[in-house]
Amino acid sequence: MILVVAEQQGGKLHRASWEAVAAAQELAGDRPIAAVILGAGPADAAAALSAAALSAVHVIDSPLVEPYTPDAYVDALVKAIGELRPDYVVLAHTYRTRDFAPKLAARLDRALVSDCVGIRPGSKTTFLRPVFQGKLVAEVAAEGEPPHLVSVQIGAYRGDNAKRGAAPASVTPLHVALDASAIRQKAEEPFQEARQAVDLSQAERIVAVGRGIKAQEHLAVAEKLASVLGAQLAASRPICDSGWLPMERQIGSSGQTVAPKLYVALGISGAIQHVVGMKGSRTIVAINKDADAPIFEIADYGIVGDLFEIVPAMIAELEKR
Amino acid sequence: MSDRESLDVDILIVGGGPAGLSAAIRLAQLQKAVGTTLSVAVLEKAAEPGAHLLSGAVLDPRALGELMPDFAAKGAPLASQVREDRTYYLTQSGKIKFPITPPPLRNHGNYIISLQQFGRWLSGFAEAEGIDMFPGFAATELLMDGHRVVGVRTGDRGVDRHGQPRPTYEPGVDIRAKVTILADGVRGNLTKQLVRRSSIAVGNQPQLFAIGIKELWDVPAGRLPTGTVMHTLGYPLDQREFGGGFIYAMSETRLSVGFVVGLDYEDPLFDPHVAFQHFKRHPLIADLLASGQMVRYGAKALPEGGWLTLPECAVDGALIVGDAAGFLNSLRLKGIHLAMKTGMLAAETAFEAVVAGDTSEPRLAGFDERIRQSWVAAELRPVQHVHQAFKYGLFGGMAFAGLQLLTKGWWIRQAVASTPGHERMHRRDAAGHRHATPELKPDRVLTFDKLTNVHFSGTRHEEDQPSHLLVHTEVCHSICGHEYGYPCIRFCPANVYEIVPAPDGPRLQINASNCVHCKTCDIMDPYQVITWVPPEGGGGPRYEGM
Repeated sequence: MILVVAEQQGGKLHRASWEAVAAAQELAGDRPIAAVILGAGPADAAAALSAAALSAVHVIDSPLVEPYTPDAYVDALVKAIGELRPDYVVLAHTYRTRDFAPKLAARLDRALVSDCVGIRPGSKTTFLRPVFQGKLVAEVAAEGEPPHLVSVQIGAYRGDNAKRGAAPASVTPLHVALDASAIRQKAEEPFQEARQAVDLSQAERIVAVGRGIKAQEHLAVAEKLASVLGAQLAASRPICDSGWLPMERQIGSSGQTVAPKLYVALGISGAIQHVVGMKGSRTIVAINKDADAPIFEIADYGIVGDLFEIVPAMIAELEKR
Repeated sequence: MSDRESLDVDILIVGGGPAGLSAAIRLAQLQKAVGTTLSVAVLEKAAEPGAHLLSGAVLDPRALGELMPDFAAKGAPLASQVREDRTYYLTQSGKIKFPITPPPLRNHGNYIISLQQFGRWLSGFAEAEGIDMFPGFAATELLMDGHRVVGVRTGDRGVDRHGQPRPTYEPGVDIRAKVTILADGVRGNLTKQLVRRSSIAVGNQPQLFAIGIKELWDVPAGRLPTGTVMHTLGYPLDQREFGGGFIYAMSETRLSVGFVVGLDYEDPLFDPHVAFQHFKRHPLIADLLASGQMVRYGAKALPEGGWLTLPECAVDGALIVGDAAGFLNSLRLKGIHLAMKTGMLAAETAFEAVVAGDTSEPRLAGFDERIRQSWVAAELRPVQHVHQAFKYGLFGGMAFAGLQLLTKGWWIRQAVASTPGHERMHRRDAAGHRHATPELKPDRVLTFDKLTNVHFSGTRHEEDQPSHLLVHTEVCHSICGHEYGYPCIRFCPANVYEIVPAPDGPRLQINASNCVHCKTCDIMDPYQVITWVPPEGGGGPRYEGM
């Protein structure tokens, strides 16, 4: 059996959980797949997840696991895994997973293969994970007793490729005894910055601006495009360096890694530092004056021209719809 | 600040390169031999030991053999023994192979190594011997008591780009030591402070520097036999520029390809990084790299002034070793063995001084004497004028180098007195030698732009911190464009400096987080308005196999 650890907050399922389901489906072969979801009243998220082709969605409903703390998560998941006895535990490589998965693996004394971008099922299942900042891909196998823990890179799998079930999967409560006194962390109120922070990895559409935007006041045209597309605004490093947009909107090796359905790159040359943060996007649209800009090497649609002419035309066309 | 922590040690080593680590290992050995226990700490600004170390590198194992006679049995990571030397003079598309390898370039008995791996190995060894290693901590200031060096202060962590504390703020730590060994490398920030605050370099010839730029390439087998060492002179440099290229076959499929140029070139429009790209396009090199893949990149300055530019290396409470002082043989293109040996000699001096309870300058001055009595002096003195003589051009310099080997370094000193490299740069409106690097459009297969290359250095810095390049930008925005055409955008091999258009004229943009810590800007800027200071500890390149 394969167990997917889904992630939710306030009843809203994390988009990347679908990616973990898709990865688990590739890994499973004819083995059943179940999911476990943790939270204080995560029924909505569990119901959303039950649309997937899963044998069951196990719900750990406890005020001790939300807000999130690594101690509570590890305690709950150790017990859930002990009960469900999966061969593999599959997680999306979210910020939260990065926080608790190493501890979970250490507690179980089992192998963790993190940040995978591919799976080769077979008699000896192997996992592909990028090394050297994505320049090379290593093929690794987990050693030792099951379960093996696997986290998959955001964007490596398409969430909407996850197979849906003919009927909703059964949602069943999973009762695990959690020891409140063993939870050593106490979550405080979210920070001011954190409350404003955008998690671009959750965005379905992104409009990103680069140096071609030239001046801060020109951001308005990109904002307008983002708003008609229902997209988040992001940027390459020079823009955030200049303080035109906050650093949490930076995409690339020193910012966030994203994989939206649509990525519109305005005046972005496509330096490798930027590309590593967005090359997993499904559809990349690039607008740049320089026909030789490397961004066109990865773009699905490229427009060579002045973004100040093209973007207003796009906005006008989109507004007609 | 009252909540600053402090730590007392007997001997503090600043910098975990070959000099600092050899000092640490020697100190461990001396403690064992004598049966005393001292507290010894090594500060290293890289997050991981070795991650900031870059060299060609061909290692002369002389010092290593003295430090660890059984280094092979201990698993020293030596990629290959040198099996063959080749030297070429290049023209734009032609080559002339030297019929014999000039004696200083003969590498029989030497090893091709990755200095990063070598440093990591030495560091693990030092740690196993009980030395306290502090990777990820940068020393930012010398602690002085009058003329006496009493330790260092490490950098604050968690300061945002406006200088305000972030939630993760932690003030730096004061580390006080009876003896501080400065092994902070070429143009080390602490050694620079000490030179400015004391008279240790007064009356010396100015230090001369070069910049080395290097890539690792994976190539199909059969291109160069493992252990082959190639050096080139000539193209893309002209007779007035000091330097050349190298290709070292670390294995059948892994080449170390690099290019060194003296930081005393005269045309501000010369670009070392672009010159390196032109070098790779030369048929001799391009054929070796064809259908290969560049996998790593880095750059580092190196001290090339030699014996006459060394400061006094012993002061009250401190010793200076390795590249920080300038122990490098520019004729043999080697400094690792000298760094190691001076580290070992400093360790012996410091150990005896601490045990005797006297770490004053007269006592520590025994270090200078030890150097003079050692093979370090015997190796460096005969070549003491070599780099300086290259101001007469390549052929003049080579003739001089040969002559020097005959005279064992005897020369009328004034004959080759030199000026600091940055002073040789000509203003654009002044008459003088011109050799602007021709523009080149990178194909991103064989040739690369600086930004792409930086990606392959693994460089990371905390983004939200003050710039660690302190620049008085007035001259940048007023006269530099006219006088020198913004040479910083060319001599920096990591695209840290950019001139971007702004409504009130071109503006300097500093992309500090691209910095590979090579120190070239601190050295070569013609107005000397750039000061390199360590960024938050742990930031910088992450060299792997370099």
